[in-house]
Parts: sequence; structure tokens; C-alpha cells
Amino acid sequence: MIAVVVLWPVVIMVRTAFQKISPDGFILGQAGWRNFVFLWQEPALPGILVRTSIWVLTVVVITMLIALAMAQLFNQEFPGRRVARWALIAPWAASVVMTAIVFRWSLNADNGIINVALHDLGLMPVYGTDAADWLGRPVVAFAWMMLVAIFVSVPFSTYALLAGLQAIPTETYEAARIDGAGAWRIYIAITLPLLRPAFIVALLINVMNVFNSFPIIWEMTRGGPGHQTSTTTTFMYQLKQSYIGESAAMSVVNFALVLLIVLVYLRATSVQGRAA
Amino acid sequence: MHTVRFRSLLLGTLTSCFLALSGAVAAQADTVLTLVAADYGTGPADSSLKYWQTIADAFHAANPAITVKVQTVNWNDFDTKIQTMVQNRQYPDITEGDYFSNYAQEGLLFKAREVLSDPGNPMPVFTQLGSYDGAQYGIPFTTSSRALFYNKKLFAEAGIAGAPKTWDELMTDAGKIRALGHIGYGLPLGPEEAQAETLLWLLGNGGGYQAADGAWAINSAQNVETLQFMTKLVQTGDTEPNPGTKNRADLLAQFAHGQVGMLNGLTALLPIIKQAGVLTDNDWGTATIAGKAGPLEKTLGVCDFVAAFKGDGSKREAIKQFLDFAYQDKYQVAFAERYNLLPGTTSGAAAFAKVDPALVPFLSALPKAVQYPNAPAWAQIKTQIQQNIGTAIGPDPKSVLDAIQQAALKAN
Repeated sequence: MIAVVVLWPVVIMVRTAFQKISPDGFILGQAGWRNFVFLWQEPALPGILVRTSIWVLTVVVITMLIALAMAQLFNQEFPGRRVARWALIAPWAASVVMTAIVFRWSLNADNGIINVALHDLGLMPVYGTDAADWLGRPVVAFAWMMLVAIFVSVPFSTYALLAGLQAIPTETYEAARIDGAGAWRIYIAITLPLLRPAFIVALLINVMNVFNSFPIIWEMTRGGPGHQTSTTTTFMYQLKQSYIGESAAMSVVNFALVLLIVLVYLRATSVQGRAA
Repeated sequence: MHTVRFRSLLLGTLTSCFLALSGAVAAQADTVLTLVAADYGTGPADSSLKYWQTIADAFHAANPAITVKVQTVNWNDFDTKIQTMVQNRQYPDITEGDYFSNYAQEGLLFKAREVLSDPGNPMPVFTQLGSYDGAQYGIPFTTSSRALFYNKKLFAEAGIAGAPKTWDELMTDAGKIRALGHIGYGLPLGPEEAQAETLLWLLGNGGGYQAADGAWAINSAQNVETLQFMTKLVQTGDTEPNPGTKNRADLLAQFAHGQVGMLNGLTALLPIIKQAGVLTDNDWGTATIAGKAGPLEKTLGVCDFVAAFKGDGSKREAIKQFLDFAYQDKYQVAFAERYNLLPGTTSGAAAFAKVDPALVPFLSALPKAVQYPNAPAWAQIKTQIQQNIGTAIGPDPKSVLDAIQQAALKAN
């Protein structure tokens, strides 16, 4: 089962990366390392790699910070907590493609709801200008897409951390309080260390998810103009249209990066296992 | 529409259940043809699915042994969809939309004469475009030619007498319309159809994608100059912002809503204008597309083709029966009328000229129209242009054109 579902596609992917393939999928022979060389020579590649790092780091760090705060909040008793917890599921439960399309239309330069709101507040005097064209300017578009990525990543992370928080026995807190520790001290000395397993799981799943994220960028800008809002994942897809071998080479590089992340994860958890 | 689609879906499901059953009982199953067509409609109400389903149903009634399964794909995804099907070896039987000679080169297609009783009837002007290595594979189905559409109402408001003939006039006029708070010139350089808009500009300066001898000349001096002018136009603010991210469909809709002074359009814009209900017939006009020194002598003639995939070769007779049926004049005229395009056959055009004389000038422009390259590498180059030409609007158009030229040479 594992061999067929997991290993075989990997074998095919690696094999494809070393083949010369016509745009319509006909194998024309072996390519050696040529696909990797072509990939390396892509003028857009450096920008894409930098953008991918920024994408993963920014989205994951901000997501985890927000999730920590949200989990803490949702762990408290407050009126309407059940409703609030349900509401948080919405961005997670909704299809990411749908969320991305909603944001794309909300940011429409002429009548997007975000621009209309800004207009009504007097912040966006004229529609259809460069300033209103959020998704037309690569840097701004990329920032918006990171925001959407954070928006859809926060729920899962919050729930993962919330589960972790609830697993911490209340006696520990009581003992700390008896010892006279303040709220902040309790958080740093007790909550965070005990939350570590849940935090690491949430963090790594996020890193992989965000790294592989395709629908947000594809639906909002298609990685364009050119490749100026592409990450390695969307770039791989753009390459696939004409250069299958090179696209497979990009996949292999992506796969290697994810593998690296997993290894770091396994190492981190085993270190923790020994410590405990 | 939903009920129709639901019904046809239900019908399709029932049919396939029935087919499965009958296949189990008696070994003689029907021939099923898969037809994948580009969707020319603007929404569910005028989807091409309806057009093809009508033909498929009538055909099935006349030939109960053959069922045609119709699928439509929107234009943004059509090329990719077909290419993905080919890459995955899940060949459709018939496609209608863009045709690429690389499929002919790879031996995947039937020749036109193998699947059509009268291969001389589809417009001969486009035979060359649908040919590979001397044999015709792409069968012209529907055609169009490009023209400059302008909003007469905005032109009058801005005090402009008539449509611009040169680039400089176009820039001046666009500036006046911008001053009214509208988009002066709509420049769709987003991935949807950038290769058409770009070519229309290149033609205006005596350039193009290929030199006279057919060699790729994407980064020629004229072309660089053209892109420099377009950059100037964009930076002055005479177009919509960031044209590299704007698709044609969106700009056509904006034109129909009276927000764009002028853009290069095709007859398919007519129903969009009608549907929007903002501009009356007197509020807009068409003119020959402006060039650097004067209007284009030859416009871009575009032809969409039917192509028949071989698969295992067993369905040739069924495909031929269906195509002979679908290419009847009445269906050609119905299509042209539905989408305000022009027919793809000679007899269809003659029949259509009687029904809609207003479009005769567009028809007569076709024979001298410029066409896209028909080299097998065009599919790849077109993708490169669509993806990247938007970034040529900026400080360094030459390097972008150089990169596309490199990709073209690499593809050859």
C-alpha cells in the first residue's frame, strides 16, 4: 500500500526529472542533469526562492503567534465561548479556493468591497487607480496573499494549541499559584514548556502546508505578472505547461526541501523525547 | 440553465447506467464520442454547452448507435485542459477551440479529409494555419477579425472627433478620456489573451512574432520600440493600472459598462455590450486598429478549429458522421448568430451573409488577415508570451522579449 501510494509517485517524479519530455508528454530520451541546469538558469528562480522563504517564514510565524493568543483566549471561560469556537472553524472549513476567490473579488480595483469600504471612509478617493489595484502590484499582492494564508492557517493551529492547553493538568497551575507565581511567570514557566509537543506538531504541519500552498496564489494572481508573485509550488505548475522535465526537477527540489523539514522535525521530537 | 444542466447530467448518468447494463447483457455497446469545446458564452445562460448539446441530441436521434458526450471548458483553461488530457493520454475524440500543430506533429490527429466528407468547404483562407507538413488537420469552425472598438459617448464628452489612426493620436485621445475619470485605452496583457493584443501592437510597427522567412523575431528592434511605446502609454496612466495582470474578459465587460474609452475587440463583444445594457447601438463604434504611423492595413484574423484525435483509430467513422452533421450550414449560422462571430465554412458564410448583412465587412476582411504562426512550437511560445509579456511593460522591455525569443529558439 505504502509502496504504491507513496513511493511509486516519488520514483516516477524523480525519473521524470531526468527525462527529456515534449510539452505534450512524449518521452524523447534521457536528459541527465539538463532539467536541473535549465531550472537553475531560469532568471526568475532567485526571486522565487526568496519569495518562498518570506512566504513560509512570515505566514507561519504570524500564524503561530496569533494562534497562541487565540488558544489562550478560547481556553478561558467566557460567555459565548462555544459560538466563538465554532466561528473560528469557518475559515478552516471553507474551501481555500473559495476563500481566495472571495478575497480576489473583495480587492477588485473598481468595486471590490474592501475598496468600497476604504472609499466610504475617505481613504480611497478614486476607484480603478494604481492604489486601488491591490493585486496588480506584485509586492502588495503578495502581502495580501500572505494575509489570506494566515487567515486560513490560524484555525487549525489554534485548535491544535487549544488541545495542548487542555491537556495541561490544572493542579500544576494551582501549585504554581500557591508558590506565588504571577500570570506571566506561570505562562512562561509552565504553559509554554508543557505546550511544546502540541506547538511543534502545529508548527511543522503549518510549515509543510504553507510551503505547499497552491490555491491562494493561483486564484488570486496566478503567480503573475510574469512570475513575480510565484512561490516554488506555483512556479512548478507554471513550468509544467511547457517544460515537464524542468517542472519535475522543481518538484524534486521542493520534495527535498519538505523532506529536510520532516527530518528536522523528527530530530526535534526525538531530542524532546530524550529530554522527557 | 441549472435544470437543463442537471437534467442532462441526470440523463448522462442514466445513459451510462443503461450502457453499463446493456453492455453486460449484450456485448454491442454504443460508440461514445467525447467532445471538448471551448465555452464562448458569458455565463450559464449562453454557454456553448447548450449549442453543442442541441447538435449532439439531434445527431443521436438520427444515429442512435452513437452518443456524443459534450464538455465545455472556459477559454482561460481550454489550452491547459486539452494539453493535460494529452499529457495524461486521456484523449478527447473531438475538440473545438484552439488548435495546435504540435498534436498533428505527434501523429495524434486525424487529417481533415479523413473525418469530413467535404474538406473543401471549411474556409480555405485558414487551411494553412490548420496544416502541418502539407496536410490539413485543423478544420476551421468559427472565425473572427479584430477591430478597434471605441465608446462614442466618451469620445464626444472628451471632444474627440473620431477614432485614432496613429499611436500618437491614440495616446492623446486616451489622455482626454482619462481626464474624465475613465480608462482611456484598455490593454489586456494578462495571461488570457495577451498574445493577440501584443501582436496587434507589433503589427502597427511593421513587426510580428516571425520574420518574413518564418524565423522567430520576437525581440526585433521594431518590437522593442513597440513595447517601449506601450510602456509610455501605461506609465502616463492612459490605460488601466498594471495591464500585465488584467485579462481581456474583464476589460471587455468594463467596456460594455461604459468605463473604457477604447480597446481592441472582436465581434464577440457585441453580445456582452447588449447584455450589460449600458451602451446603446449608437454609443459605440468600430474602426481599423491604429498603428504607429497609420491604421493597420491587415488586421489579425483568428480562426478556431475542430480537431479530431485518433485515439486507437476505431472511432473514425463515427467522428466523420458527427462532423458532417455538425458542419451543416444551419448550425454554422446558429453559432455565428449566438456569439456574434463569423462562420468557419464557405457555404456557412454565404448563408450567414444573408441573415446578418451588418457583419459582411468583417467577413470580407478575413482573406487578407494576418494569422498566428502555425509552427509546432507556437503552443509553447504562446504560453511564454501570455505568462511574461506583461512584465515587458517597464524599464526593460528588451530583456523580456529576449527571454521569450530564447524560449522560442529552445522550443525549436
